Amino acid sequence: MVTVKINGKEITVEDGTLILNAARDAGFEVPTFCYQADLIGIGSCRMCLVEIEGQKKLQPSCVTPVLHGMSINTESPTVVSARAGVLEFLLANHALDCPVCDKGGECELQDMVYRYGPHKGRHAEPKFKFHEKDYVLSPVIIKNSNRCVQCVKCVRVCREVVGANVLTSLNRGDHQEETSFLRSFLDCDQDGNCIEVCPVGCFMRLPYRYKTRPWDLKGADTVCPYCATGCRMVIEHRDGVVIRARAQLGVGLNSETLCARGRFGFDFINNPNRLTTPLVRKRGALEPASWEEAMGLIKKNFSVGGGKVGGIASPRLVNEELYLFQKLFRTVFNSPNIDSSSRWDPLAVESFVSAASMHEGGVSIFDCMASDTLLIIGSHLSDENPVTDYIVRRISANRRMNVIIASPRAMKLDSSATQLLRHLPGAEDSVLEAIILNLNYDKLPDETLKPVKDARLEALLSTAGALDKEIKAIARKLGASSTVAVIAGTDFLRAPQSIPALGLLKDLLRSRGKKVTVLPALDRCNQRGAWEMGVHPGFGPGYSRVDKKGLGCDGILAAAEQGELDALYIAGSDVASMYPDGEFAAKALSAVKFLVVQDIFLTETAKLAHVVLPGASFAEKEGIFTNQEGRAQIIRKLLPPPGKAKRDFDIIRAVGESFDPSFGPKNPVLVLDEIRKEAPMYGDVSLVFNNKKNIEDKLDNRAALVKGAQSAALKVSRIEPRADLGGAEQFPFRLVTGNHLFHSGMLSRMSSSMTGLLNAAVIEISEGDADALGLRNGDKVSVRGAACEAQMTLRTRKGSGKGMAFVAENFEDAPVARFFRRGKGAPRVAITKI
Amino acid sequence: MLTENEKKELQAALKKYPNRRSAVMDALRIVQNGRGGHIVKEDMLEIASILEMQPAEVNAAATFYTMYNVNKPVGKHHIQVCRNISCSLMGAEHIIKHLERTLDIKTGQTTPDKKFTLSTVECLGSCATAPMMQINDDYYENLTDQKVDEILKNLK
Repeated sequence: MVTVKINGKEITVEDGTLILNAARDAGFEVPTFCYQADLIGIGSCRMCLVEIEGQKKLQPSCVTPVLHGMSINTESPTVVSARAGVLEFLLANHALDCPVCDKGGECELQDMVYRYGPHKGRHAEPKFKFHEKDYVLSPVIIKNSNRCVQCVKCVRVCREVVGANVLTSLNRGDHQEETSFLRSFLDCDQDGNCIEVCPVGCFMRLPYRYKTRPWDLKGADTVCPYCATGCRMVIEHRDGVVIRARAQLGVGLNSETLCARGRFGFDFINNPNRLTTPLVRKRGALEPASWEEAMGLIKKNFSVGGGKVGGIASPRLVNEELYLFQKLFRTVFNSPNIDSSSRWDPLAVESFVSAASMHEGGVSIFDCMASDTLLIIGSHLSDENPVTDYIVRRISANRRMNVIIASPRAMKLDSSATQLLRHLPGAEDSVLEAIILNLNYDKLPDETLKPVKDARLEALLSTAGALDKEIKAIARKLGASSTVAVIAGTDFLRAPQSIPALGLLKDLLRSRGKKVTVLPALDRCNQRGAWEMGVHPGFGPGYSRVDKKGLGCDGILAAAEQGELDALYIAGSDVASMYPDGEFAAKALSAVKFLVVQDIFLTETAKLAHVVLPGASFAEKEGIFTNQEGRAQIIRKLLPPPGKAKRDFDIIRAVGESFDPSFGPKNPVLVLDEIRKEAPMYGDVSLVFNNKKNIEDKLDNRAALVKGAQSAALKVSRIEPRADLGGAEQFPFRLVTGNHLFHSGMLSRMSSSMTGLLNAAVIEISEGDADALGLRNGDKVSVRGAACEAQMTLRTRKGSGKGMAFVAENFEDAPVARFFRRGKGAPRVAITKI
Repeated sequence: MLTENEKKELQAALKKYPNRRSAVMDALRIVQNGRGGHIVKEDMLEIASILEMQPAEVNAAATFYTMYNVNKPVGKHHIQVCRNISCSLMGAEHIIKHLERTLDIKTGQTTPDKKFTLSTVECLGSCATAPMMQINDDYYENLTDQKVDEILKNLK
């Protein structure tokens, strides 16, 4: 600890604290442009100059650490005039076109000049102009370099946090321009973090351009509805149209970052195709109807007890709705047949929850990043959970830690890995088991020891497609660490035979006295919440034991196909598009005697329904999302639901009340009280928004993490792997799926910004495989599997594994679900040029 | 495309550095010399792929240093007048004006016969002999109008 005097006030701070932060801690404001807590300091803008007693020149406080006994002045006349001087130079070439600048009104340069600036300019020279007209840098970014203050935050966030590294500073001095390669159109992550960090109107959102002045916006502080990272963001509307989503520095675990989906994918809210009225099937077609008519039909066709009914609720609903949904089925319909996923086997879910220790309570990503070793397996983190990827990249660069990535596909985060393992798709089990075998060898740390001949290990290595030395190196690192974090992704749920090995590795490392945390990387915003609310056929709220186990989505569909299902209530899930066997799902759903679908769009599933109920999007309701870490966060209402649409909470409650007038609780606040009681994990979870603007990195709101469940009724089941669909000779590629960087499920398909970034199906293979087939990036190809054939555009990826093709699950023109067959494993495909 | 000789030269340059990207300035110099004094987009893309860098980073290095001419063909004699503080105080602005008048071009332009290109550059580290300029690889120092006329005459 060192003691320094700032403006005469004594303050004791930790060694190495920057003068800037010490001054801010002491309560003095120091203006900055180029400083940002999570970026490497460059001390270039000179706004933060301070006077240190005994030093002739002013010093940039954002890169100068305090020394014991320093006496610092942040408000001396020299400092004040230096600030004014810096601003005068910044304005020398600044365009000063504030009246037509999107940033006008929330511009840091405006605010600074107002507070500290010279109130008249002395520069008589003509201003230097980079260009005449603003230029479009990508489908979502437009740029005006004439307003730049050269803080270089855009380039730094792109390099240090996002890892895309496509922006740079061209030229130098007052001609320095932060832009892309030769100002060319960007083919990048399109996340717009460069826009968010820009203090002026240099990088701007293209979809937001000239739509409003910032002071005319009304906003709600909410949580992103796409993946389960749980990024906090503000969505803002003008005249009922949501036109901007932004992150806030120092708020939420994401601070100022968002991904493309979060920042630009909100416009599905105002999509004109939103459902605004209930629909009822009459003479074969869905026609608008009143709520009374729709509810009457539900009352008539859902039998209470006796008949077989099922319910599938989307992991995009809030906890209150999900809780009420399972209560509706378990208590009113007396049916345990409920599920929250159309893609995953309920047994796999239960095993995964148990193996990943989700019942032990929330795990902060910041704790994971404080461990000695981080193992990322079964997750294409860079595409599925982009902001988690940013956090891993940013923090791992700043501390000594092992980052091990095991993945069949190359990803952006690979560059942050200290060790990379390319294994075969779906072979997570062999990888983990081989690591476990190695951890069990006694003399592992001795590299000179002759490798043990082990037939089992050799078999595992060959199914994993990994080298002995790679696995040994991982085992050695895990063995030498006292804290280990594992990020385990959705590939475990797609290939559930790998789940027991995950649990085994965790238990083995724990038995050696290591602290092991597992962070499940999930791809739907409230998937964890849906499970913890008990929307699962095998466990109740808080992973509690249920008397009667029911059918999951797959079982429900099988029953429907046999004509045994009397009624099915689907809330927010597009089962027809997402179930891995599209043909079977469509057939089964058509065979349901009475199908109710509640959604915000007329999805493929809704088109098959007898009654369609219009629900609300995340912007039209309040409630709680539990992110993948187990952090409970409130979403806030910005707009009323469109037309006759209602909050999903009200719809579920009304359905319940039509059978049992006492069904409730009657409002979300009371439901939350009941959740706290029924699921003690949520007992004392704090929902107080940590909304204080937190310039430093204190982003970890731990009070929001759920606690451990006291009596979790979970077990890990061994799930036999399924044989691939199609022979390897005829179909050389193994098809894997997941979310595309620009899409998440089918929701993002309704956002015109996101479809503007990518609208047609693409298939991705490794560069080597493409070369061998004589195919090039961008070629049109035909993809043929045993069950389906579709045309797509080819993308090649450097560094991916051989013999694997990736098609995202988000394309309507090539629904990947149609390549799968119920009861079979991963489909195999052949790729030919058209 | 880099020629075989240029590739060889670049491979030799790579040996001087601890990592590939450090050789970016050598690569740019090799390419510029091979192109008769300037660099185009395709060169930067190729350098980026050889040195495992982002094209934007190569672009940044190439535009930061005034000795590289990106997308700007230059004449046979590339006149680069220093206009940093020392040279400016000693009359660089006047020298630039004189050159513009004599060659009948503006700064940044090339004469129609493609003989001369006139540029201004940042400090060339020869402040003691200000004002000064560099023509191709040679320094010309303590300039006056007469001296400039003589230098140009000898170059023609």
